[in-house]
Amino acid sequence: MRPVDHEADSCYSCGYSELEAASKFGSNQVILSRVHDAAHCLRKQEKDILNAALDQLEVKFPQMLFCAYLGTLPEGLSMSELGFWLLNHGQVKGAEYARPNENGILVIVDMNTKQIGISMGYFAESIITEEEAYRALLRARPNLLNAEYGEAIENIFRRLARVLTKNGRKLRKLSHEELQAQSKALNENKLDLPEHFAPLLVKKRGFRLGAARRA
Amino acid sequence: MALPLAGWSAQIDLPEWTEATEAASYGLGGGLWPAGLLPGGTPGSETADGPSGIVDGSGEAPKTNPDGSPLTFYGPLADGETPGVSLGQGGSDQPAQVPIEPLPSLEGELQNLYFGYPPVDYLIDPQRLLTEQKSNDIKRFLEFHSDESPFHIYVMVVGETQEIPEDVDLKALHKEWFSDQRAVLMVYFREHPERTEFVYNESVRSSLPKSVFDRISQNCLREGAATDLAPDQVEKMAIELSIQLYWLSKLMTAEGKEAMAIAEATPAHEMPASADAPELLREYAPGIFLEESSRRALSILVTVAVILATLVLVAFVGWIVIWLRGMDRVTGAPMIFPSFKVVRRLGGEFSGGGFVSMSFDINDGSGLSS
Repeated sequence: MRPVDHEADSCYSCGYSELEAASKFGSNQVILSRVHDAAHCLRKQEKDILNAALDQLEVKFPQMLFCAYLGTLPEGLSMSELGFWLLNHGQVKGAEYARPNENGILVIVDMNTKQIGISMGYFAESIITEEEAYRALLRARPNLLNAEYGEAIENIFRRLARVLTKNGRKLRKLSHEELQAQSKALNENKLDLPEHFAPLLVKKRGFRLGAARRA
Repeated sequence: MALPLAGWSAQIDLPEWTEATEAASYGLGGGLWPAGLLPGGTPGSETADGPSGIVDGSGEAPKTNPDGSPLTFYGPLADGETPGVSLGQGGSDQPAQVPIEPLPSLEGELQNLYFGYPPVDYLIDPQRLLTEQKSNDIKRFLEFHSDESPFHIYVMVVGETQEIPEDVDLKALHKEWFSDQRAVLMVYFREHPERTEFVYNESVRSSLPKSVFDRISQNCLREGAATDLAPDQVEKMAIELSIQLYWLSKLMTAEGKEAMAIAEATPAHEMPASADAPELLREYAPGIFLEESSRRALSILVTVAVILATLVLVAFVGWIVIWLRGMDRVTGAPMIFPSFKVVRRLGGEFSGGGFVSMSFDINDGSGLSS
C-alpha cells in the first residue's frame, strides 16, 4: 500500500478505501481475542506466556491495545488489507472502551505466505514510525525462522514497548501547546505526491479526493 | 818473563787505607736522628761525642718508664730490626736497646703546642710520638671521616709519662675550639689506651644518656687493647670511634632532643617506624623479606592481575550495558501518552492502513513493505 495523503479518503493510485475493504470483508464488527490464533500454530504454553507478556504491556501502557492474529490467509487476500479491516471492524475482547482500536497495534502472521506484519491505529502510528516497527519485526526473525511464533510475537511487542516508552517520554516533555502545534503540523504535512493521474476514475467511483478538495 | 814483570809491578803506587780515627763519622738518617739512638749502632753510637743530652749507651743507666718498663723507639730502624723495640734494658738475648731521653712534661712551649691554639690538623702530635707513615695514614683517615660525617675527630697524642696540665680544662678547651661544631677530641696516651679521654660537645653530651658515651669509650678501648703498638692503637681506636660516631649521629637523629620534640608533637599513629628496623630484620630474619627478583616478579604478577581484573570489569560492565540496552523492559510506572487530535484517512475509523510487513520464509528475501 502506497502512502496516501493524510486527508485522502482513498488511495491515489488504486482508489482503495475503507468502503472497498468493507465490501470485500464485510461491514460487520468481528470479535477478536487478544491473541487470535486462527491458524492454530501456538501451543497452550506459548499462548500463556504471550498472554502474560501482553498483560505486563497493558499494565505499562494502559492506553495501548496489543493484539495478534495468526491465520492462513487465502490467495488474493492481502495482509495489509486484512490489518486495515480488522482494526476498523474488529473488537478485541476485554478492551472495548479502555483501549480503542486507534491505539491498537495488531500483529498479523500469515502462515501460508510466511509473512508477518504490523498494522497500527492512528494513535499508535503517530508514536511508532514504520522504521521502528520494521526493526521490531527484524528482531523476531530468528524466532520466526525457528517456528517460535509465540516468542516472536512477544519479542515484537517488547521491542515496540521500548519504542513507546522512549517516544512517550519525548511527548510528555512537550507542553500542550507544543503538542497541538506538532499535531497540526503533522496533519498539514501533505505528502509530496505527483499529481493524481486518475481523478476521473475516482470521481466515477464516487470517492472524494483530498487533492480535489484542496484544489 | 817473570822478572821483568816483577820489576814493573814494584814501580806501581798502590792507594792506602786511611786510619779509622781520621775518618769522618756520619750518623744514619742524614743527621736527622741523634747518633747512638739507633739500635745496632752507627759508628757514633759507640762514642760519647754525640749531641748534648743524647743518651750514652756506653755506661749510663738506661732510661725507662716510670713504672720500670723500657721505653719504645718508633723512629727509623736499622736493617734487621723490628719496630717498637724496647730500649734501655736489653739483656744478652734481646736486641740492642738504646735508652732515650724521657719525655718532658706538658708545660711551657710544649703546652702551647698542644693547647695554645685550635688544631689545624686532625692529628695533634707535636712530639712526633707516632711513626711518620702511620701518622699520615691516620691523618688521611681522619680527613676522610670528617668529609663523610658531621662529627669531626681530633686525636691528640700525648706521651705515656706526660700528664694533662691541671690548668688545662679539656671541656672548656673543646668549647673554645669547636664551639658549635660537632667534634670529638680523643686524648690518647701512648701505649696506655685505658687512659684515653673523649671530649664531646656539651650539647651532644646532654642529648643522650651517659651509657651511650660509655659504650663508645669501651668499644674504642677494646680496639685499642687489641694491639700493643701505639700507632696501631691510635689507628684502631680512631677507626672504631668513627664507626661509633656514625651510629651516634643516627641515634641522635632518632632519639635526640630534637627527635623527641618532634615525636611529642607528632601523633603516635603518624610516627614512622625506625629507619633501621628493616635492615636489622633483614640481618636477623632474612626469611621474611622477599628478594629483589621475587619482588619484581610479584610486581609483574600484580600488574598483570590488575590489568586482567580491569579488562574483566570493563567486559562485565559492557555486558551489563548491552544487556540493559537489549532488554525490553516493561517495568516501571505506567506510561500515559498525551492525547492529541488525529486526522482520519481512507475512511477508516480507527486505522488508516499503516502497515509494515516482513517475510520470514527462508527462501524469500523480501523485506519492508507498507
